[in-house]
Amino acid sequence: MSPGSGAGCSPIPAKAGIGLRFQHHRAVIEGKPPVGWFEVHTENYMGGGTPLGDLDAIRCDYPISLHGVGLSLGTAEGLDPAHLARIRRVADRVAPVLVSEHLSWSISGGVYLADLLALPMTEEALATVCRNVDQTQGYLRRPILVENPSSYLRFRHSTIPECEFLAAVAARTGCGILCDVNNIYVSAANHGWDAAEYLAALPASAIGEIHLAGHSVRELEGGRMLRVDDHGSRVIPEVWQLYSEALARFGPVPTLIEWDTKLPPLETLLDEAARAQALLDHERKSLGRADAA
Amino acid sequence: MSASHSAVPTLLEVQRALRRSLVEHDDGEAAGYILADGLASEGRLNVYRNTFIGALTTALRLAYPAVHRLVGPEFFEGAARIFIEKEPPRGAYLDEYGSGFPEFLAQFRQAASVAYLPDVARLEWTVSRALHAPDVEALDLSRLVAVDPADHGRIAFVPHPSVGLVQADCPADTIWRAVLAQDDAAMAAIDLGSGPVWLMVQRFATGVEVTRFSKQEWRFANRLCVDQPLQEALDDASGFNASAALAGHLAAGRFTGFRLETAP
Repeated sequence: MSPGSGAGCSPIPAKAGIGLRFQHHRAVIEGKPPVGWFEVHTENYMGGGTPLGDLDAIRCDYPISLHGVGLSLGTAEGLDPAHLARIRRVADRVAPVLVSEHLSWSISGGVYLADLLALPMTEEALATVCRNVDQTQGYLRRPILVENPSSYLRFRHSTIPECEFLAAVAARTGCGILCDVNNIYVSAANHGWDAAEYLAALPASAIGEIHLAGHSVRELEGGRMLRVDDHGSRVIPEVWQLYSEALARFGPVPTLIEWDTKLPPLETLLDEAARAQALLDHERKSLGRADAA
Repeated sequence: MSASHSAVPTLLEVQRALRRSLVEHDDGEAAGYILADGLASEGRLNVYRNTFIGALTTALRLAYPAVHRLVGPEFFEGAARIFIEKEPPRGAYLDEYGSGFPEFLAQFRQAASVAYLPDVARLEWTVSRALHAPDVEALDLSRLVAVDPADHGRIAFVPHPSVGLVQADCPADTIWRAVLAQDDAAMAAIDLGSGPVWLMVQRFATGVEVTRFSKQEWRFANRLCVDQPLQEALDDASGFNASAALAGHLAAGRFTGFRLETAP
């Protein structure tokens, strides 16, 4: 992936897109809503039948991004070659503009734990992630984007701040970064990090995509609050604010609205995407003025 | 056995400890690796444990919608939790997860009063497999025409990946349809003692269909689908028109290819 401005790092225009779920397939195929692109979970299209047929129709009209949740880039035991092969099969069929995965792990002892688990931020984990990203990019014959996850725990023996860890993965492997602004907000709130410092530590030239989503707040024992990334509501004002700061730092970057639980009508997602698009347009105008000055 | 905090655990050790925590509820070692920071490790690990159980319960509910309706959400979630911890997924492609659930239900004492549940579950798993089977073109019949008639008996078909055969001791197909349609009248009319059924499941462009066969027709189809040469399947066929049945299978696109069995 060639470095450049944030927007230049991505093969799709810096527009707002929507995470597409099965329930909205018909509405998209029949209504062709005005949105820049769609992102789907790679794992949802590993079989045949209706979902893949629908996606064939949708990708005639929109760029598609493949977002994986099951590769387990941080696993110490090596990647599952069967899963990697399935990802390549989907990518060969769908011809996505972007392929992304997470800075996390989900497989141990051959068991899939169905979540994006936090990694210890150590040199050993960094080397493991880089080895797995290298293998993935070599096998898929393309660069991928790696996303910062929300996290709910930290390890005693971590030595590297997550933002620096992610920047190092990008620098060592040439992968891009999928900057999930909601996840930065959630993890910063859960662990007492400074979200602005996190953004400042990411290399603008590697940012290929931004994610926005809603999250929930859970009260645990002793009244302690934990923010949980459940993609089940609108983006909160504080995350919109952080998104504006991210755009100011990275420039206009393709931005995705994610919504997975309690899925609302497509119109609600389009409304959120329009809001992101307005901020992208505003950022582009600011850049224009700066260039003219 | 808690790890010494002075020694830095390897990534492998950390991941094994968290797996034991999530799957086996053994938090001992994992808790020692985690910063408490105002909240007990158990509370932090529970966030991941809840997603682990929740996501896999959802995967099972999507594969077994009729079982879910038959037993109700509370019972289903309880059974799913025990099954998930006993047989967690071996890969991240969750459409393939849950093949062991019918057998688990058959052995699950709390479900023993619903004797037909494992049969309905077996049918649902076959339907789920059909739904998610890869897209493969049906056999081009001109390839069959090109086979020397003297070799026809040696043809062993490759079944389409969406084709599945289920035998049940009760009318599992009728129960399955009535439950998914929430048709109480159809449900009330079911005679559980009406005897076994022989079913073929297949995905068509219009959706997945479940078709009843006679016992003899089903045995014939089953032999063809498990790679037996045509002559052996024909030798075993009686009481129905096997040629017409074979033509039906070919017309319905139930095979994707064939090979010629070499003589023993």
